[in-house]
Amino acid sequence: MADGAVAAAPGRRALAAALPALGVAAIWAFLVVFLVYPLARVFYDAFSDEAGRLTLENFAVFAADAFYRRSLWNSLLLGLGTVAATSVLGFAIALLLVRYEFPGRNLFGYLTLIPIISPPLVGVLGFTFIMGKAGTVNILLEDWLGLARPINFVYGLHGVLLVETLHLFPMITLNVVDALGRIDPSLEEAAESVGARGWRRLATITLPLTTPGYVAGALLVFIWTFSDFATPLVLGVHDLLASQAYLNIVQFVDRRLFRMGLVISALMVALAIVFLVAARRYVAIKDYSSLAYSRVPRRHLGRLGAAGAVTFLSTVMAFSFIPYLGVALASVGKGWSMTPFPLRYTGLYFERVIVETPKYIVNSLLYAALAVLLCVVIGVPIAWILARTRLPGRDTLDGLNTLILAVPGTAIGIAYVRAFHVELPWLAAPLTSLWIILPIVLAVRRLPYTVRGSYASLLLVHRSMEEAAASVGATGVRSFRDVTLPLIWRGVLVGSLFSFMTSLQEASAVLFLSLGGWETIPVGIFAFYIAGSANEAAALGVILIAVAAVSALAINRVAGARMGGMFG
Amino acid sequence: MRIELHEVTKRFATTTAVDRVSLEIGDGELFTLLGPSGCGKTTLLRLIAGFNAVDGGEIRFGARRVNALPPHQRNIGVVFQNYALWPHMTVRGNVTYGLRLRKLPASEIGRRLAAGLARVNLTGLEDRYPGQLSGGQQQRVALARALVLNPDILLLDEPLSNLDAKIRVQVRGEIRALQQDLGITTVYVTHDQEEALSLSDRVAVMREGRVQQVAPPKTLYERPLNRFVADFVGTNNFVRGVVKTVADGRVVVDTPLGPIRARPGDVAAGGPCVVAVRPENVSLEGAGDNVVEGRVRLASYLGNTLRYDVETAPGLVLKVDVGDPWQHDVLPAGRTVRVAFAASATLVLRDD
Repeated sequence: MADGAVAAAPGRRALAAALPALGVAAIWAFLVVFLVYPLARVFYDAFSDEAGRLTLENFAVFAADAFYRRSLWNSLLLGLGTVAATSVLGFAIALLLVRYEFPGRNLFGYLTLIPIISPPLVGVLGFTFIMGKAGTVNILLEDWLGLARPINFVYGLHGVLLVETLHLFPMITLNVVDALGRIDPSLEEAAESVGARGWRRLATITLPLTTPGYVAGALLVFIWTFSDFATPLVLGVHDLLASQAYLNIVQFVDRRLFRMGLVISALMVALAIVFLVAARRYVAIKDYSSLAYSRVPRRHLGRLGAAGAVTFLSTVMAFSFIPYLGVALASVGKGWSMTPFPLRYTGLYFERVIVETPKYIVNSLLYAALAVLLCVVIGVPIAWILARTRLPGRDTLDGLNTLILAVPGTAIGIAYVRAFHVELPWLAAPLTSLWIILPIVLAVRRLPYTVRGSYASLLLVHRSMEEAAASVGATGVRSFRDVTLPLIWRGVLVGSLFSFMTSLQEASAVLFLSLGGWETIPVGIFAFYIAGSANEAAALGVILIAVAAVSALAINRVAGARMGGMFG
Repeated sequence: MRIELHEVTKRFATTTAVDRVSLEIGDGELFTLLGPSGCGKTTLLRLIAGFNAVDGGEIRFGARRVNALPPHQRNIGVVFQNYALWPHMTVRGNVTYGLRLRKLPASEIGRRLAAGLARVNLTGLEDRYPGQLSGGQQQRVALARALVLNPDILLLDEPLSNLDAKIRVQVRGEIRALQQDLGITTVYVTHDQEEALSLSDRVAVMREGRVQQVAPPKTLYERPLNRFVADFVGTNNFVRGVVKTVADGRVVVDTPLGPIRARPGDVAAGGPCVVAVRPENVSLEGAGDNVVEGRVRLASYLGNTLRYDVETAPGLVLKVDVGDPWQHDVLPAGRTVRVAFAASATLVLRDD
């Protein structure tokens, strides 16, 4: 090999020398075209009028409209409310799982992950089947208690809060479990030796030490809730920013409304960035990395405590399982109405969405696979640049990668609609008319997971290992292939699987861009449900959950259940 | 405050970490628990602190039996190996946390904070976070935090193991000076025998949960009770043999090096034993009670001493220190030398 390399033609050598630079240039080009430009376009439109003159008038219109003001207020309230609710649940569960021993602890540890497997769109469907006005619970209540009017469990802001909380609390749990595991026992013993015990120690020492991990999780919960429009729309909630953005954009008729959609989108991005920066600032001053020599031993709960813990966790899990039950029943229940459970069962709906119109599954798998491929091709080199080089623009690269985490999918979708609706000269068609835009938008959305997974793995591969390879004659590429890659593939694979799973579930950005024939499973679910074919939507939901569950199992196998770091 | 341990025992799942340990630590004494990792020294400290409950035996502080008391009722101050400074609190927050829990008036808290930081030379760093301090500074914050509650007893768990060698020696001196100023009863855990010798009033050497010997540093070094202590504290040469005769304050031991004249130990004639002699007590001058011929295998120049490894019999290497290397030309490997040591510099120990 070495001899061959030396003997290579000078032309090839020059090319080999130029390759890294070309690669870096390609990465930057991708990010500029598919992230920076669309967002810049949205902001430009938000700050200009039809003639292209810069103006603040659009925001004045927004501020003058009571409905928009209420939407903004509701969105903030919903986001903060969900953060509060998921925090209480997430912390309580994390503390129980990490610090206490009780029957079924391991099982509950696994079950905690399950809510994130079902995408919120599917979750909300399931809730309506069980908890809706004509759902199982209300029917049972009518039958048993003679309830005259159904109780409104889910339709309205409180329903959105419930659904989002039950879907998102694992994000907090995972991050707090991770953070709790890093607290050295001596920190709590030191507190004990000066007299802080029980709740006091928990409040003043233990919980503050989980802050960095917790803030990262809370930020994700906030942005997710803040930018989700599919869940509120299914529950009939329109006065939210995300819902307004969606409705304004997809109507495509009224140019003024369309522009207001862009304005809202810009506002959402700006707010998300503000929260991201604030959270980063807040966490950055907290360097909590200490030497953890051991773990705090688990305390055995007494009979009463264990019963309480099991009851609490079972209740939470039971609620989290409602959507699964509802979707599963609806996917096979024939003519299910006004009865607690379906009376007859059928495979018809599965046949319809699998055999008659296989496009949902085929498209989903194709787009998600292509997206993951793009993620790896672009994300691993970015991780390598961040971890191993001092290239100029490194910090910007890191910043862009983090920015993606903060930018709502809704906003990205809107930005693409706006930015790529221009005809490309050599195609005589806009990019939005080519299906490749879907894998691209998915790849951009999921890039941070691949970058983070690879970056974390690269940090574990000490540089001296690569230097040792170089010292025995391996060139840069060669040592990457023979030494670095075998040591990081696990992290890359976990990041990729996670990207794959969440790409399949992506609804927000895709809903804006999907055209006839490109429908993915989430698009199908949304379309069927809105059109009143709830059973077909449920059948697709079951398929989506099954694929996600398999991905999650694979991740678990590869990563050993340590998904917490993915959200940091 | 006196500390008395009586038959203290601690068992973990499969091991007995502390095995029937009885000790008396005097008021104002700096008492060190010394031993290799896993010997039970840290566990014993944690039992004294109250972080773990004893499985058997009794711990007394003065007249008070403390077995069942939680740590904060024992009036102790603890410095942890990793300092265990709370990273989300400033120096001020860390040091005053215990005072605030006790709801002391603000003026009193301020006074004690100032005095506590002055004592460890950290005045002016009140508003720094632990992450902004050097290792030595963190160590001193931990010390200030432990002392600000005016504890009866100070417990230090390998407090210097995370510091650089130079700073370690400096902080070691500071800790000793502070301890003597305050006259506070102190239990100090370390695996570093030099540290133990240099700052302790008395040292207990531990092995596998049991105390091997309790003695002041000088006694420990010069009169170790068994081979383990002789080996763990300082450096020793060991030569196995059998006691041949015991007479007139002299014993003769049969060894692979021939008969060695040695100072008597508690081994009777006919018993297997090891003869221990420290490298600094062996010379190359060729005169003494015991003279053995050997070949130089290795010379290690350490600056203040020069250490030779001399093979005196197949597989038996004696370490020989030349105390003043400035006046000595290094001998090449392979050179035949005559090593000698006095009977008074030897110890006869049971071979166990």
